[in-house]
Amino acid sequence: MEEYNSGEEILFNSDEATAPIKECIEGVIGGTDYNQNKINQWTASIVERCLNHFVKQGRAFKYIVNCTIMQKSSAGLHTANSCYWDTATDGSCTVRWENRTMYCVVSVFAVAVA
Amino acid sequence: MDEFQAEDETTFVVEEVSKIIKESVEATIGGNTYQHNRVNQWTTNVVEQCLSQLSKLGKPFKYIVTCVIMQKNGAGLQTANACFWDNTTDGSCAVRWENKSMYCIVTVFGLAI
Repeated sequence: MEEYNSGEEILFNSDEATAPIKECIEGVIGGTDYNQNKINQWTASIVERCLNHFVKQGRAFKYIVNCTIMQKSSAGLHTANSCYWDTATDGSCTVRWENRTMYCVVSVFAVAVA
Repeated sequence: MDEFQAEDETTFVVEEVSKIIKESVEATIGGNTYQHNRVNQWTTNVVEQCLSQLSKLGKPFKYIVTCVIMQKNGAGLQTANACFWDNTTDGSCAVRWENKSMYCIVTVFGLAI
């Protein structure tokens, strides 16, 4: 039992991560329309908020947070990620969000510190 | 001299990684026009090629590679990254590539083990 618990602490739980990421996005761009003047500020705020949330958890992880915002037009957008890491402890979580005028994709990668 | 060499083997070298990324992108989509039914395959190929070249470097690093391909259509696109890591050993490299019909942005993050 004890072994199982200590295993959990060094495993990144991507299901649990979805809700806080959504909240960070909603908190910054929920209810706004795409605005070219503000978008720089928005992406910076979203990544900072997400990063702070995960760092506060105080776990032995390094984090990378990536945020992409795209205006809704007829353009096609495709993203892919590939990772070379320790599959037992490391993980990622990607959240897709949209409103009337834009798409937002946030990915969080957590890599265990040896 | 010995110390300098060892440092090179355990730090993230941006020029080296940038070259790998450019080669992977050119090899996969260089000379192609944006095609909706092939983009999936292209992004997968770009990240896989980058990753396999990076792991061949044999350095004690974990890598994360992301690739974004967007059709040129006048839409606005913004991406941002924030990282919580060890500044002395970890690093990232982003390459922006384009042709007449699409943009391709590839980012590699290297984290020392």
